[in-house]
Amino acid sequence: MMAGTLQLETMGLSKRFGDTLALDGVSLKIERGEFVAVLGPSGSGKSTLFRCITRLTEPDSGEVYVGGRPMLGVGGQTLAATRREIGIVFQQFNIIRRRTALENVLAGRLRAMPLWRVASGVFARTDIECAAAALDAVGLSKQLHQRADTLSGGQQQRVAIARALAQESRVLLADEPVASLDPETAASVLALMHSLARSTGLAILCTLHQPEFASRYADRTLQMRNGRLGDP
Amino acid sequence: MAEVSAPQPAQPGLAAGRLKFAALLLATAAFYLACIYVADLNLAKLWLGLPRLATWAGRAWPPDFSEFPILLYRAAETVAMATVGISIGALIAAPVCLLAAANTTPSLWLAYPARWVLNALRGIDSFVFALIFVAAVGLGPFAGVLGIALHSAGSIAKLWAEAIETAAPGPLEAARMSGASRLKVFLYALLPDVMPSLASILLYLWEFNVRSSTVLGIVGAGGIGQELKNSMDLLLFDRLFAILLIILAMVTAIDALSAWLRRKLS
Repeated sequence: MMAGTLQLETMGLSKRFGDTLALDGVSLKIERGEFVAVLGPSGSGKSTLFRCITRLTEPDSGEVYVGGRPMLGVGGQTLAATRREIGIVFQQFNIIRRRTALENVLAGRLRAMPLWRVASGVFARTDIECAAAALDAVGLSKQLHQRADTLSGGQQQRVAIARALAQESRVLLADEPVASLDPETAASVLALMHSLARSTGLAILCTLHQPEFASRYADRTLQMRNGRLGDP
Repeated sequence: MAEVSAPQPAQPGLAAGRLKFAALLLATAAFYLACIYVADLNLAKLWLGLPRLATWAGRAWPPDFSEFPILLYRAAETVAMATVGISIGALIAAPVCLLAAANTTPSLWLAYPARWVLNALRGIDSFVFALIFVAAVGLGPFAGVLGIALHSAGSIAKLWAEAIETAAPGPLEAARMSGASRLKVFLYALLPDVMPSLASILLYLWEFNVRSSTVLGIVGAGGIGQELKNSMDLLLFDRLFAILLIILAMVTAIDALSAWLRRKLS
């Protein structure tokens, strides 16, 4: 692989909850445009891995680099700036129900917005255009102004993906993104993620339950077992 | 196995349970008797007072509406005091509830002191606050406004903090991942979600305050209560009856308006 294309790297990431070692020295590397799937039973540490990468949970030891910049041992503005490089998609979509699809995607651009724009909802043209383009990329150009809680599950997950795109992140962490969707919708969401990785260079780390989805859409598949990451 | 061995250890436990229940019953009865004694219940006094009540009731009819405009103005004063008071209370409550709610507070070191302050404000009735403010700023509705503002700031912030804590954490985490500040995340991802319940709480407390502030006039803090006290002091029972009818009409109208608005919100 070419130097400088490494987007996400973890080294020896560990996290202990009481007596259980939830993460046991997890090391992984994901290149630009690469779609990596992680398989593993519930409780194997997949969600903890994501929460430790983003520092929603603080890991005990190890290192995390996003686009070559360290995530651990930094705080305040530096952490916020590096965090912006990570988009997240959750199983439960985590969209703001009472806002429109477009406003939800704009949430990915809050950081650089002046406070008065956030409070008043009067957004800059450039932000709106970026959000609309992201929704277009996930096939929701007709639903821009539809309230998010009236969208179907598959559409809500597409909104969440568009939010990560509008955030202009390098890495997309997808935590069981299709577990709440029917098989057909799940396949179309994964196909979308696969093509976005190719077209935008987004590095994707995605946990899945079904091995057949992983082998069909991912470039590489890893297996998580008792907090350890290995080949399947 | 379990069916055989379970009843044996359960026997002493059951007896202890019954003993505990009996002790609790006894303690409750003792507490009640003490309360009845201290509260000085006296049916004989009520019996002797009944004829006096009957005479008063007789003199209350027909209600005296001769001063209707001034009574109406006093009623409007009560509504105005409650409205302005609760608005000031909400302004005080807004920043404090963000410190007190577990999911928005910057630190638990701030959340606990914030909750203590709120409990203190809530614990002191607006009537008591008004009494103090009458001494400080003089007679009139302004003292009532300040009393309502301080007491309801505590109630509003506590109920708001509870409503904020029930919000789903997912959208907040997602918005925080964009690198946005706490305040931006709150304004953008949390507020739209909880806004209807926050507004509903405010309406309910407004309605509650209109009801409870009818008595603030008794300590000289403005509103219809002042006329109520005057009429009672001068034994003008027909005027008193007119005031009670106005209070009932006002409270009913405000209740209906608030209920209608809250239905619209949900």
